Amino acid sequence: MSYRHIVAAGTLAAASVIAAFALGSAAAQDSEGGPAPEAGAWSQSRTAWGDPDFQGVWRYEADIPLERPSQLEGRELLTDEEVAQREEIEADQQAKRLEGFEGGAVGRLSIAESPIRGNEYNSFWQDHGRPRQVYKQTSLIVDPRDGQIPYTPDARKAAARSTARYGVGPFESYLDPDTGERCLTDGVTAMMWQGPNGGHNQFVQSPGFVTILHEEFRDRRVIPVDGRAHGNIRQWFGDAVGHWEGDTLVVDTTNFLDRTNYEWASIWTRPSETLHLVERFTRISADMMDYQITIEDPTTFSGAWTAVIPISRLADDTQIYEYACHEGNYAMPNLLSGARADAAKKSASPR
Amino acid sequence: MRTGSRSAKIVTAVAAAVVIAVVWSGCAPPPAAPTEPYRAPRTAGGAPDLNGIWQSLNTANYDIQAHAARPALALAPAPPRTGAPGLDRATPIALPAPQVRALGAVGGVPAGEGVVEGDEIPYLPAAAAIKKENAEHWLERDPEIKCFMPGVPRATYMPYPFQILQGTDTILMVYEFAGTTRTIHMNDVVDSPSETWMGLSRGHWDGDTLVVDVTDFNDQTWFDRAGNFHSNALHVVERYTPVSPHHLMYEATIEDPNVFSRPWTISMPLYRRFEEDKQILEYKCVEFVEEAMYGHLGLIDPGTGQANK
Repeated sequence: MSYRHIVAAGTLAAASVIAAFALGSAAAQDSEGGPAPEAGAWSQSRTAWGDPDFQGVWRYEADIPLERPSQLEGRELLTDEEVAQREEIEADQQAKRLEGFEGGAVGRLSIAESPIRGNEYNSFWQDHGRPRQVYKQTSLIVDPRDGQIPYTPDARKAAARSTARYGVGPFESYLDPDTGERCLTDGVTAMMWQGPNGGHNQFVQSPGFVTILHEEFRDRRVIPVDGRAHGNIRQWFGDAVGHWEGDTLVVDTTNFLDRTNYEWASIWTRPSETLHLVERFTRISADMMDYQITIEDPTTFSGAWTAVIPISRLADDTQIYEYACHEGNYAMPNLLSGARADAAKKSASPR
Repeated sequence: MRTGSRSAKIVTAVAAAVVIAVVWSGCAPPPAAPTEPYRAPRTAGGAPDLNGIWQSLNTANYDIQAHAARPALALAPAPPRTGAPGLDRATPIALPAPQVRALGAVGGVPAGEGVVEGDEIPYLPAAAAIKKENAEHWLERDPEIKCFMPGVPRATYMPYPFQILQGTDTILMVYEFAGTTRTIHMNDVVDSPSETWMGLSRGHWDGDTLVVDVTDFNDQTWFDRAGNFHSNALHVVERYTPVSPHHLMYEATIEDPNVFSRPWTISMPLYRRFEEDKQILEYKCVEFVEEAMYGHLGLIDPGTGQANK
């Protein structure tokens, strides 16, 4: 029996162990990288009406890939030595970024597995501004225990197709670039942990609502927490309803539109009518939030999967800036005219 | 007696009319006891409570000035009828432009009294010419058609609801159209590093009134579908005043020395949408306008399935 099989046997137990670990790890380091605050120094701050107060701007700043890289197969945690090594690399990269060195980019997966080919141009989109936080966790996905997205066979093919097309084409019309390039969205599933490129999330709370304003694509969720039931209108971002379980905000989202016939940079972020999200937001210190998301969609996945994600709070004066993507989408006409020029060149050149 | 009876009836009718008139005028615009102004309830944090979903009910998005009804936003003169004695006309008849003709009555423009104080927009002469040109080229130029962010104050009186969400140091205005959100900073905030579509909004309370000072605009947004426009020197001061549990009075003073000779003001009531569980829904219009904006630019036009020439 291989190690993987042993791992699979204890999936649920392990998920909670990893979750607990992620909480502990996040709490033990503050965002400046300085000493951890005194135990008990922080207590849950509350709104004037008594809910836990999440207000402020939050961002995913960890270095944990969504899926476990193949070289770490079978390992849920890094060793202390590996963590120290990664911290050194992060510090080194940060220094290079500050010097204006291009190419120190990090994509959404990892440096080696960035979906963006030829990182040089794209690296400025990916500037974290400060070193990423290194964690022992080897993948955001804790369930299934192999740390991999449990695609159905068809979805696995669709994912491979979309990876092969991303940044390559063909681009015959405006329907062919991915939803991000069309300035629509990269999907609600990844909104909380999208990282440096417009990955800021501003939380604003008012009685009966928690609102999350995401910078990129100005994605927005106004989540009722007033006990109402789900409605019956399908939307890109579905129909979210929240409630408090102790100090944890639990958000259940259904009623997504089917947008599986659009191109997605990462198909695991696409909405379909069978998509169902359950998210748990818990503030665990002044600077850290534990975010867990369970994603279920028989259209794309063979089973539910769960990611455990540390989210950092940014300085009080952090602003969400206006994201006018479609308003300035010069890339779209240029991409289409480039494709036409290419086609014209091909048909003109002798075979 | 008959005469007396008739005049009695007239008196009664007049009295009834007066009563009806008094009652009627008491209903509009938003009621306020003449002596004691309405005082809004307070949030848990002690600020006037403007939380809720609001919407204007007027035709200002068509034209902020008073306007008669007309057949379409885009009109084209009918070609002159010549050579048929008795059918030639002194002035051409304006008909819906070919691009909007099929919409029929749905494409018509409802009349409106306008929302501009004094009904005059004090354009500088060169700017007045641009406004006229904008109106003539509405189909090509109105940013609303392209699903661009609508700017301020236009976002307030588009035919979509918006929600006010009062956080601790931040008030959000959540608009349905184009998924636009404005952050009203109630604390100090540095100037925007670049021009913006929706402006940088700084808010404060003046009694029960939320006053929002908006700067750092670009020159890309319009005030309405009639071509009223501004430059990047636009400065808007908005006032949201609760006048009943279900009404806000909205006022915006508009200043732009590149375009207008003096500041001018618009005002209108905003009405609470109090349907149970009412929400701001998505109106992600980018995918609604791509065919019009880009269909003709690719190798293939998805709208026709044919190769573009």
